[in-house]
Amino acid sequence: MAAANAAPEPDFFETSRKGAADADLRRKLENSTGRHLEHVAHSRAEFPRYDDERDAARRIKEDAIGRLDELLVELKQKLEANGCSVFVAADAAEARDYILKVASDAGAQRVVKGKSMTTEEIDLNPALERAGMEVVETDLGEYIVQLRGERPSHIITPAIHLSKEDIGKLFAEKLGIAYTAEPEALTAAARDRLRSIFLGAELGITGVNFAIAETGTLVLIENEGNGRLSSTLPETFIAVMGIEKVIPKLADLPHFLEILARTGTGQKLTTYTNFVSGPRREGELDGPRAMHVVILDNGRSTMLADPVMREALYCLRCGACLNVCPVYRRIGGHAYNSTYPGPIGSIVSPNLFGSAAAQLPFASTLCGACRDICPVKIDIPRILLHLRWKEGLARPPIKWPADARRARTGVMRFARMARHPRTMRLLGRIGGLILRPFARDGYLRRMPGPFKNWTRWGRDFPAPRARRKTGGHP
Amino acid sequence: MSAFHKIIANVKSALERAPRVPPPHAPAAGAIVPVTHDARRTELISQFARELEAVGGTFLGVFSPDESKSRIVALAREIGARNAAVGAGVTLDTGAIVRALEQSGVAVIQSGANSDAERAAFRERLANCDLGIVEADAAIASTGTLAVIGTPDRPNSLTLLPPANLILVHADRMRPDLAAAIAGIGAATFVTNRVALITGPSRTADIEKMIVLGVHGPKKLYALAVWPNEA
Repeated sequence: MAAANAAPEPDFFETSRKGAADADLRRKLENSTGRHLEHVAHSRAEFPRYDDERDAARRIKEDAIGRLDELLVELKQKLEANGCSVFVAADAAEARDYILKVASDAGAQRVVKGKSMTTEEIDLNPALERAGMEVVETDLGEYIVQLRGERPSHIITPAIHLSKEDIGKLFAEKLGIAYTAEPEALTAAARDRLRSIFLGAELGITGVNFAIAETGTLVLIENEGNGRLSSTLPETFIAVMGIEKVIPKLADLPHFLEILARTGTGQKLTTYTNFVSGPRREGELDGPRAMHVVILDNGRSTMLADPVMREALYCLRCGACLNVCPVYRRIGGHAYNSTYPGPIGSIVSPNLFGSAAAQLPFASTLCGACRDICPVKIDIPRILLHLRWKEGLARPPIKWPADARRARTGVMRFARMARHPRTMRLLGRIGGLILRPFARDGYLRRMPGPFKNWTRWGRDFPAPRARRKTGGHP
Repeated sequence: MSAFHKIIANVKSALERAPRVPPPHAPAAGAIVPVTHDARRTELISQFARELEAVGGTFLGVFSPDESKSRIVALAREIGARNAAVGAGVTLDTGAIVRALEQSGVAVIQSGANSDAERAAFRERLANCDLGIVEADAAIASTGTLAVIGTPDRPNSLTLLPPANLILVHADRMRPDLAAAIAGIGAATFVTNRVALITGPSRTADIEKMIVLGVHGPKKLYALAVWPNEA
């Protein structure tokens, strides 16, 4: 699997601490995620059928994932009948090898990529670059993080961790344009640069949002037009999809389209919804001469086999759960050290990347905001608890940092104590006696000893009341 | 007035102060079916126009086939287009549009690429032309979307490479929603042709979630509805 890189595994405890301490990052995240949530609330409010469509979409996913075997067979047959070459890859290495072979057979020098988290998942770009190809990400956000030598920090807004000033400086340095922080001007500069690259690329690679088994049609959703260009201009086109992207029928699609953009970006529909079924036909100007579809398992069938995990495969990758997550909004996407950050990433990553992501299910307050916003109602908190339970049985166990260990021991001791009412009452009384002298107007504003962390950041605590001799309350 | 009526009156006036929230399963606004065919078409066109403008597109209006020719020529002049690429029509005679444009001094690029060399040359011309004109197979009123089906003489690049687009749609091709539009196009067409649903100009929100129009696709999107001449 993806653990092939020899680089030392980044430690989630360290990266999340770093993210949480970065006040600047927090401001940027609050800004962007807040704006997104406003758009979503607005677009949902004006669409009364929203919840019905969610239910319909979920039912279709339940059905599709429940008979994934037959649907994948049907999809492969139909795609091949439409003139595509289909390769089913068991893991990331198989997918990379196939794509590398297609790329070198096509004599590709320059590769343009539409936005695709699946190709991030399989670490495709470094593999193509090692083979001597120039790989250019063409989604504006992906282009920005590629220029910075970073990974996307969000599944639909890759550069969410950067301000327009950050991007202005980056473009001034890397593209040699005069510094500007105007999104309009920055976008125009990227467009100019990328247009000529598009016209000269031999290979285009994109992800897939939905694959319709009935017709053998791939559906690509985007706003910028780079996905359309990547699948239209180069002579060779490769689409990379996870096995869970298949839906049975064309008539199922509207149910997903009606909810996906509304939750993902707050739009009614994304600017472009592209339907591609095969290579170009006789006499056509557009479309590749050869079209390949890579269908990737890479740990997904393990999720399918687990009855609790299975519903994670319904995910449409809309990214909304990241934006509502109080943990994601504090630590940012890079802290997760995974292609898929946030609540859904905390579920998917341990299955795709193994022990490297074992801590992620613990990075949640279980508040349930992710479940509420999910367009297909995935019960993310339930799956997180399930994964925590599984991790508790795993060997070797997670190496928790010292303060987390102390907190765990403390909570466990408290739990033991709470099971003994008499001890609890006694300790409560002693605690009250100790704390009462510190109280002002019925509140503790500063607490001594191990409790000082509670009040250190301006929090107060109600002072324990003087105990009456004959309390009716036990 | 009884106490009960007084309370009801209070509640009523209290409610009137805030905007009314639609009941959870009410039909979408604008879904009321008018009596006549013409009223229905008009209703759908106006809903389409509203939604298109909401996503940054420009609705030019409803024109007869004859009027639309002169409106197209006027648009080319307004945006200073020196040349335009015109795709083959679905229901309309685009030959007449081509002639009108040429008469007004706009060079017209029409498709016709069969060899690889021609393909490259044609693509280059498309990439450098000022305006792409194409007829949509259908339009979706609820989202302001245009469904364009790619064919050899109506290539997809027409709605992708030029900086401005004009998409025409026949009044009879207005569909209330996405499901109706997709069903109308039909599964067989999706197998054989590349289909693009276009909702507004190309856009991005990748920099601080601020919306910028015209990234890789057209920055300007115009739409025009054609009302047929009827006896």
